[in-house]
Amino acid sequence: MIELRELEVMYGKRRVLHGINLTLKRGESLSIVGESGGGKTTLGLSIIGLVEGTVRGEILFEGKNLVALAEKELKAIRWNRIAMVFQNVENALNPLYTVLDQVSEPIVVHKLGDRNEATRRAGELLNRVNLPEGRFYAYPHQLSGGEKQRVLIAMALANDPDLIIMDEPTTALDALTKVEIINLIHTVCKERELTILLLTHDFYAASTLSDRMAVLYAGRIVEFGSTPALLSNPRHPYTRGLLRCYPSMTTTKDLQGIKGRMEFFDVGCPFHPRCTQSIGICREKAPRLEKNDGRFIACHRGGIIPLLELRDLSKSFDSLKAVDSIDLTLYEGETLALVGESGSGKTTTAKLIMGIFGATEGRIYLEGKQILGRDKSFYQRVQMIFQNPMESLSHRLSVLEAVREPLDVQKLGNREQRESMVRQILDEVELPSSETFLNKYPHQLSQGEAQRVGIARALILNPKLLIADEPTSALDASTQAKVVKLLLNLQEKRGIGMLFITHNLALARKISDRLAVMLKGIIVEEGPSNEIVSSPLHPYTEDLLKAAPTLSSRVHAVPERTSERNDGTGCPYANRCNKVTEVCFNEKQRLSSLSTHKVACMLCTATD
Amino acid sequence: MHINYWTELTRNNFGKIGLAMLCLVLFIALFAPFLARYDPGEPSHAIFMSPSFEHWLGTNDIGQDIWSRLLCGAKNSLLVALGVGVFTTLLSTVIGASAALVGGLYDRIVMRLIDALIVIPAFIVIILVAAYVLPNVWTLIFLISILTWQGGARLVRAQTLSLKERMSVYAARTFGANKRYIVIRHIIPNLSSILFAVFIHSATRGVFMEAGLAFLGIADISTVSWGLMMHHALRFYYLDVWKWWLIPTGLALSVTIMAFVFIGHALETAMDPRLRVMEQEDWQ
Repeated sequence: MIELRELEVMYGKRRVLHGINLTLKRGESLSIVGESGGGKTTLGLSIIGLVEGTVRGEILFEGKNLVALAEKELKAIRWNRIAMVFQNVENALNPLYTVLDQVSEPIVVHKLGDRNEATRRAGELLNRVNLPEGRFYAYPHQLSGGEKQRVLIAMALANDPDLIIMDEPTTALDALTKVEIINLIHTVCKERELTILLLTHDFYAASTLSDRMAVLYAGRIVEFGSTPALLSNPRHPYTRGLLRCYPSMTTTKDLQGIKGRMEFFDVGCPFHPRCTQSIGICREKAPRLEKNDGRFIACHRGGIIPLLELRDLSKSFDSLKAVDSIDLTLYEGETLALVGESGSGKTTTAKLIMGIFGATEGRIYLEGKQILGRDKSFYQRVQMIFQNPMESLSHRLSVLEAVREPLDVQKLGNREQRESMVRQILDEVELPSSETFLNKYPHQLSQGEAQRVGIARALILNPKLLIADEPTSALDASTQAKVVKLLLNLQEKRGIGMLFITHNLALARKISDRLAVMLKGIIVEEGPSNEIVSSPLHPYTEDLLKAAPTLSSRVHAVPERTSERNDGTGCPYANRCNKVTEVCFNEKQRLSSLSTHKVACMLCTATD
Repeated sequence: MHINYWTELTRNNFGKIGLAMLCLVLFIALFAPFLARYDPGEPSHAIFMSPSFEHWLGTNDIGQDIWSRLLCGAKNSLLVALGVGVFTTLLSTVIGASAALVGGLYDRIVMRLIDALIVIPAFIVIILVAAYVLPNVWTLIFLISILTWQGGARLVRAQTLSLKERMSVYAARTFGANKRYIVIRHIIPNLSSILFAVFIHSATRGVFMEAGLAFLGIADISTVSWGLMMHHALRFYYLDVWKWWLIPTGLALSVTIMAFVFIGHALETAMDPRLRVMEQEDWQ
């Protein structure tokens, strides 16, 4: 129905939209999301020919190029065929006329009926948008925000258009009004088979009102695909960043921002200064929007890259299989929490990655390359925070020496540079960098200080991948909160991919994007954290969740050992599971996909 | 825990006494040429003299001044102590640490070698060797060292094995550190307490063995050695001057050995946490 081809808009010398290509079919709804200032409104205005800048490219509406059309012809289309709900509710209405007059105005102007006919129709429309009849003759200043929004929608509907462009229709509305408006738009569009172009930064509106979603950043579309797919699995770093900033009841991870500010670039990827995985080419050349696995992504790296991949990784200590052919993928800038009871093989996995243990079987990939040997450059990219800070610090090294050790080993910088780097990183982990502190020995530090020294050691090489093995288990809650905040901030700034090993599900849920639950060397469930927490599938995960700390005074029942049988052939949870069947003892389940989760449980896969 | 050995030594009574005794012997060894009134090798005096104002401890069978020889003998004992101490510690460290670090077949071979060598009585072997070559002080140091390093090597190996598995060493490895860095920066500094103990024990044993061998007559006759002096003394036990040769020399030897033993004991107390606790309870 409408197609944008290489649309470009310049305000003077400033290019606000770069080569936008979009197609919208009749009855479809498309949302364009992005931060304010990204060019959303400009895009909307350029379609109805109201933009003040120079427009290049083509806007094909039923075959006609709107850019080339004369103002007179454009007027015939504007409001009759394409209507717009403007963003600023306060200024969009004329304060001198009653709302009924304003809604009837476009009908009169476009000569679709006489004044009486127009007023009658306006009344109908206002009824349709559920404005109470008593408010028809009110002036805009007498209306509430929600009511004004309803009036604007009625205005847009006045001439029965085919396409409605809605610019932030729900911003600045309170929660209940927002839902009412969203429902209204939804039903109205359904009954009139309207095509919607929704411009918004509100993911809630976008998720409920649109089938497809395009993410606009600094005048370029960076990701484009079906709305649910984009929301559940964002692939462009910017989309993920936006979602991490958006507070919703479905996300469990703490809010994280996107570093830096938006700037417009004529050359190079517009997102590169804020992107944590940018490489040389990102600065030089703007990426094309390319089809990639069912959606379009404009990224030189093909979207968020998998940082660490474990494939069939196993480790046996004599007859004990500590890690039993696990598969895990950790993406750039993501936190993957590895949760499980002690002895489940979490730390062994960490040590396998770090090369402290050699794997019995399996492969490890870092940024797509298989790790065969580990040299100094490997350890520059991958670092580990050890579980017990006091043990991992040599008692012979002062704080300065301990934090400088990675630099000494890697031979980076001269003495003064190393020392200033040490001070800088200590600042970053919120430790004093005074002479007295630098000369302290581990036994003079508190647990929290020692752990932060450990973290500083792991971070000083600026790694891309951080293996955090129970980094906070030795700390009290307040220090733990500080450490966790610190790690999340660093992730935001540097895009560190984190494998966060913990037994604390309540903590894991606050810091992780995805969760993997491990039991006796195998991964029994894996998926997005919010989904695992809200609807766990594996009985073990369920029990873990029941046992997770809450502030209610209820005492939780601990799963009892239902059977003494466990010869290692069946499900590792069989002897504690309350839903156990005979099959569970005999057959080991492999991890299989079930909606967004992966789960290794007989019962879940059988019933589905 | 970080242990400061000097403070530990000076806090312990045994340590204090041991250190004082060692200082005395060291002082004598260093300043013997100035303290001695005669050249210890000069045989120009009357023989078999009883103690007198001229010759405090008398003279021996060829007219050498015993007091001067006693003072100069300290140098020989300390030289042996230092030589055996350093050489044995070095051997123990290299062999023990390398066995622990390399591991595998090499480790097993070294350990069996140690088992085999530990049953060979060093004393007898040296007597046998001495039957062919009369050992001077350096040969003696060498012989004692290569026959007595096994115990130390075992200790060093055990300690290195445990050090190797320390989290701090793993942490260093995760920064990309190679073996050399880990040995120099993490293993050796942490071995220092063990090495010090091995050194003190070897030194004690060195002094004792040298004196013992010399007492049996196995020594270069030209060296001024306490053991040799006692050996000579017993050859003239039918004269009444022999006790002036024997008793002061024996005392000097005891003081030296006790100095080392006391220091060793104090160190052990400092390093063994169980002994530390007992010590504190004693105080209370």
